[in-house]
Amino acid sequence: MSERVAIVGVGWAGFRPSTPYQSYKELMYEAAVRAYADAGVDPRRDIETFVTVSEDFHEGTSIFDEYTPDQLGGALKPVHTIGGDGLHGLATGYMLVRTGRFSLVTVEAHSKASNILTLPYITAYAQDPVLNRPLRLNPEYIAGLEMHRYLYETDTTPEQCAAVVVKNKRNALLNPLASFAADLTLDEVLNGPPVAWPLGRHEVAPLADGAVVMVLASEEKARLLTDKPVWIRGIGWCNGPASLESRDWADAPHIREAARLAYRQAGIRDPFQEIDFAEVDDTYAFKELQHLEALGICLPGEAGLLTEQGATEPDGEFPVNVSGGSLGVGHLLDGTGLARALEVVLQLRGEAGPRQLEDVEVGLVQSWRGVPTTSGVVAVLSN
Amino acid sequence: MTLLERDPNAPVFWKGNMPVTSRYTFGLAGERFFRAIKDEGRILGTRCPECDITYVPATLFCERCMAELTEWVDAGEIGEVHTYTLLFEDMDGNRLPEPEIVAFVRLGDGGLVHRLGEVELDELYIGMNVEPVFKPAAERTGSILDILYFRPVD
Repeated sequence: MSERVAIVGVGWAGFRPSTPYQSYKELMYEAAVRAYADAGVDPRRDIETFVTVSEDFHEGTSIFDEYTPDQLGGALKPVHTIGGDGLHGLATGYMLVRTGRFSLVTVEAHSKASNILTLPYITAYAQDPVLNRPLRLNPEYIAGLEMHRYLYETDTTPEQCAAVVVKNKRNALLNPLASFAADLTLDEVLNGPPVAWPLGRHEVAPLADGAVVMVLASEEKARLLTDKPVWIRGIGWCNGPASLESRDWADAPHIREAARLAYRQAGIRDPFQEIDFAEVDDTYAFKELQHLEALGICLPGEAGLLTEQGATEPDGEFPVNVSGGSLGVGHLLDGTGLARALEVVLQLRGEAGPRQLEDVEVGLVQSWRGVPTTSGVVAVLSN
Repeated sequence: MTLLERDPNAPVFWKGNMPVTSRYTFGLAGERFFRAIKDEGRILGTRCPECDITYVPATLFCERCMAELTEWVDAGEIGEVHTYTLLFEDMDGNRLPEPEIVAFVRLGDGGLVHRLGEVELDELYIGMNVEPVFKPAAERTGSILDILYFRPVD
């Protein structure tokens, strides 16, 4: 049995600050139909099992697997819903193919953020009920605490973090799926309103609605379906010490470990040399820098310099978030990791339109589940 | 408001909420931790002699080696500001009249997230020594809010 697993179809819907006409089920349906057309499969006949990723409280429901099969074509098929980021779903789909039991798997994640009216309260429920929650603090304070310690330990500057915002929002100008594209100056970012100083409002990815569906296939099936398979060469995930009391406030060791697992599987020794570009989590601007360092693209404290020097620009040595990232595209909550992976797939297929990178063969995608978590996924994809 | 939202033909939405009420049991170590705050105004930790780690707040087990921890220690009265932030928004996303100063205060090898008080912003720095200010003993209930805030040590 082949050990290779490919992404053979991708579809998306929404990618807007609000989608008042559509239900989340209709967003999922629209994305699924596109993914099945892209893969050239009939979901009712061909897809053998389905994975959806969601967080009940984001949906305003409980037991979300009751809400997912129909609009994906998954009724009366093996279906399960997992909590996590969309890339956790990609990892799960990968494993399902590798069991040998399934040759075609659907993975879905989405956001209907515009319907969530009390997000800080939901996020507060991910913190310790007796140690943290009674303080009644807007959960962005956790990002502020992390950013301040990150700057302190690595000598990264607020200007370098702001440079991430300028880059990603400018990249987004070439992405029709991006809702928050802008041509800003460093000063405009730095002089914006503070949220949790040193973290400013412009450095926080705004929320958007959207759905992403991917079809995964065994190598044998992929060869039959497409001449543009995108291979999942390695995928790893990790949770750090999660409590606020025992975590590392400056570093992201969970991403470091997830990357180690993914690189080992993909046979990557020097990610900066062997990988052509990356889509990484930029929920907060400083996270892009912290994540690049944890991914081993550079040493701690160097990502800000690389950004200032233009190395992570689309025409730089190692382009990062050509799509615009979550800062430019909008943050899709549980769907964010799959949105980053979508860009990597489009780039590797040569279908990224005006923002297409030249001669790319290996792409990196990384996700983080947001505050207060230390939960992340890393995958290496290639064409 | 976007054009789409103003469209009279746009579908309505249904508003809902989830009436979730629950208990939480903090456990054997947590009970003793909060009892020491309430009765003695002390912050307790537990030590893993094998890993040489002092957990604050006290836990029943070492998350590194999974040993059960039986050695209780007083975390002391002075902690260090490990990182801090100025929080400008409340839980509803509204602007606060004055930002709240929130810190992670290092105690032992762990620490506590809490507010800072009696401090001037231009005097505050990472590494500053701070101490907890407790509510009067009679008003304490065995909660993290029995600590009003941390303040600089003279």
